[in-house]
Amino acid sequence: MKAITANRLLDGEVVFWKAGQWVDHLWDAELFDSDEPVETAVATGKGQPKVVVDVYPIDLVESEGHWAPVSYRERIRALGPTNEPTHGKQAEGGDVVEALRHASGAARSTGRVDLIRRK
Amino acid sequence: MYQYDLIDKEFLADRSAEFRGQVARRLSGELTEDQFKPLRLMNGLYLQLHAYMLRVAIPYGSLNPTQARRLAEIARDYDKGYGHFTTRQNIQFNWIKLKDAPEILDKLAEVDLHAIQTSGNCIRNTTSDPYAGATAEEIDDPRVWAEVIRQWSTLHPEFSYLPRKFKIAITASAKDRTAAKVHDIGLLMRQGRDGQLGFEVIVGGGQGRTPYVGPTIKQFLPTDRLLSYLEAVLRVYNRHGRRDNIYKARIKILVAALGAEEFARQVEEEWEKIDAERADLPAAEYARIRAAFATTTFETLPARSDAFEIAKAKDSAFARFVRNNVRAHKQPGYAIVEVSLKAADQTPGDASAHQLEVVADLAERYGQNDLRVTHVQNLVLPHIKQDDLPTVFAVLEAAGLATPNIDLISDIIACPGLDYCALANARAIPIAQDIARQFADPDRAENVGELKIKISGCINACGHHHVAHIGILGVDKKGEEFYQLSLGGSGAEDASIGKILGPALPADKVATAVDQLVGAYLNTRADGERFLDTYRRVGLEPFKEAVYAQAD
Repeated sequence: MKAITANRLLDGEVVFWKAGQWVDHLWDAELFDSDEPVETAVATGKGQPKVVVDVYPIDLVESEGHWAPVSYRERIRALGPTNEPTHGKQAEGGDVVEALRHASGAARSTGRVDLIRRK
Repeated sequence: MYQYDLIDKEFLADRSAEFRGQVARRLSGELTEDQFKPLRLMNGLYLQLHAYMLRVAIPYGSLNPTQARRLAEIARDYDKGYGHFTTRQNIQFNWIKLKDAPEILDKLAEVDLHAIQTSGNCIRNTTSDPYAGATAEEIDDPRVWAEVIRQWSTLHPEFSYLPRKFKIAITASAKDRTAAKVHDIGLLMRQGRDGQLGFEVIVGGGQGRTPYVGPTIKQFLPTDRLLSYLEAVLRVYNRHGRRDNIYKARIKILVAALGAEEFARQVEEEWEKIDAERADLPAAEYARIRAAFATTTFETLPARSDAFEIAKAKDSAFARFVRNNVRAHKQPGYAIVEVSLKAADQTPGDASAHQLEVVADLAERYGQNDLRVTHVQNLVLPHIKQDDLPTVFAVLEAAGLATPNIDLISDIIACPGLDYCALANARAIPIAQDIARQFADPDRAENVGELKIKISGCINACGHHHVAHIGILGVDKKGEEFYQLSLGGSGAEDASIGKILGPALPADKVATAVDQLVGAYLNTRADGERFLDTYRRVGLEPFKEAVYAQAD
C-alpha cells in the first residue's frame, strides 16, 4: 500500500494527498494499491508549487489494524518528534498514533521509493 | 558588547525587507522553489521534517538580556515555546512557518540579531571562546577579532559563493573551548617574544565524512594582517576548491590534496599580491570595534567571598554546583558560571522561553548584561560576583538550569537527529537521554570525571562525534537505527579524531555499552587520568573487549 506526502509551502507542515486535496494526517490520506494512480497523483501534486513542496510517495505496512509508513523517518514525519510527544500530529493521541508508534519496517532508503531517478 | 551603529541597523532592516519581498514572490509563484531555496538558506531558513527551521546566529556566542528576551518571545510567539542551541553558537527554532519568517527577521533585527550566513556556501558565524573577557587564561579578547571577521565576511562579494560552507573559530586561550582545530580555519592567538600579538593559523580541519585535525600553515600572523591573510586563504580555496563533488568541496580536501606546505606556499604567494592598504583593517575601525568590548567594569573585591564560602560549606548541592559549573574569573571576587542545558530528560541544548528569560534576568541583575552560548550547547554567565553565586544558583535551580554536570558524562552534545533533521539517518536525542539516565547519580558522574560524549545522527557530524572521548554516530541498517561508537577523539587543544570501536550497536544497547566503557576505564585508570588519557595510554583493545566480549 502507498500514500503520497509533501510539505505545505506556507508553513512546512507535513501533508498527505487525499483525492486532489492535501490533508494533515496520514490516517486521513488516500491509499493506493497500484502504481499508476500514484504516479498520476504525484504528477498532479508536483503541479501545485504554490501549495506544496517535495511531493513523493511512501510505502505503508499494516500495524495493529492501521496503515503505517515502512520507514522510520516517515513515521516520525507522520507523528512528530519522539523527544516531544506533545508536539506534532501525535499530540492528538489515540489508537492510530499508538499503532504508528509500534510499527516497524524496512530501511529509510526503501521507505522513500523514488529516490533514484531511472532514465 | 559590540553596539550596532546606524549603518549596521539599516543594513539589517534592508536585508529583512529584501527577504520579505522574496517570500512574497515565492508565495505568489513568481519564484520557483529551486530559485527560492538558495535565497531562504542565505537567511538561515531550512525546510526540515515537520516545519521550517530558522537558524539565528549568535556572533561569537554573545547575547545581551534584551536579545535573549527577544529569542524567548520568538520561541513563544512563533515556535512551540523553546529554542535549540547548536554546536556552533547558533540557536535554531524548529517549528517556523514560512509566512512568519520575514516578521521574525524584523524582530531579530530590532535587537541587532540576524540569520545571515547561517547556511549556504559562504563564511558562517565565527565561533569564539565563551569565556572571552572573563578568563585569566586569555592573552587578548578574541571577540574583537571575531567581530572584525563578522563585519568583513558578511555579504563579502567575492566569498558568497564558495565551493562549500566555510567555518572559522578563534580563541585567545591555551585551553580551546571552540574546537578551532576542526574548523576550516582555526585562529589561535599567540604572543610573540616582543609582546606583539598574532595568530597561529590552522587551515583544513573539519569533521563530516572526512575528518581532519587541521595543520598549521602559519605559525605567527600579526593581528593587523589578519584580513588580508584570510582573503588570501579564501582566494586560493575559491579558485582551487572542488565544485564537481559536494563531498570533496570543503577546504580540508584541498589542503590534504596539496599538502599543508604547498597550500601554505600558495597562500603566501597570493598574500604578497594583495594590497595590504586596501585589504587590512584600518586602524581607526579597529579602535572603534575594540572600544565596544572595553565597557565591562569590575568592582574591586576581595579574592575570597565570605558569603560564598559559608553557603558552600552549608549546602552540599551548591558545593557540587560550584565544583562542576563554576570557573575561575580573571577578576578577584568574580566567577564564570556555566548554565547546563543538559538536565535529565531534557533535549540537549534546548531552552524554554521561560528559561531564556530567567537567564536574561540573571545576566541583567548580577552579570553585567552579558550572556554567552557555548559550542557544547550550554549557556554561560561570564561575570558573576562570588557574593551573588548562592542567589544565582537558587534561581537557576528553580528553573531547572542548575544541573551540576559541565564536562561530565551527561553533558552530552547531540544534534537534532532524525527527530527533526531532513538529513539524519537515526535519532540522537533519545540516545543522549538514555545515557544521561544511566549516569543520573551525580556522585558516580563526578567519580567518572571529565568525559565528553557527542552524538551525531548522520555522517555530517553536527554532533561532533569524531572529536568526542566517546563518539556515537547514528546509521541506518535495514530500517533499524544503529549506532557506531568511536573512542579517543578530542575537539580541544589536544585535538584528535576518534577511532571506531567495533560493529554498530542497536539503539537499546548504546547506554549499556557506554557503561561498559566507563567500567573498563575505572578499572584501568591511573591517578588523575581522564577517560581520554587512559584511552591514549592503553589503546582501543581493553575497551573493545569490555563492550564486545560481553555482547554475545
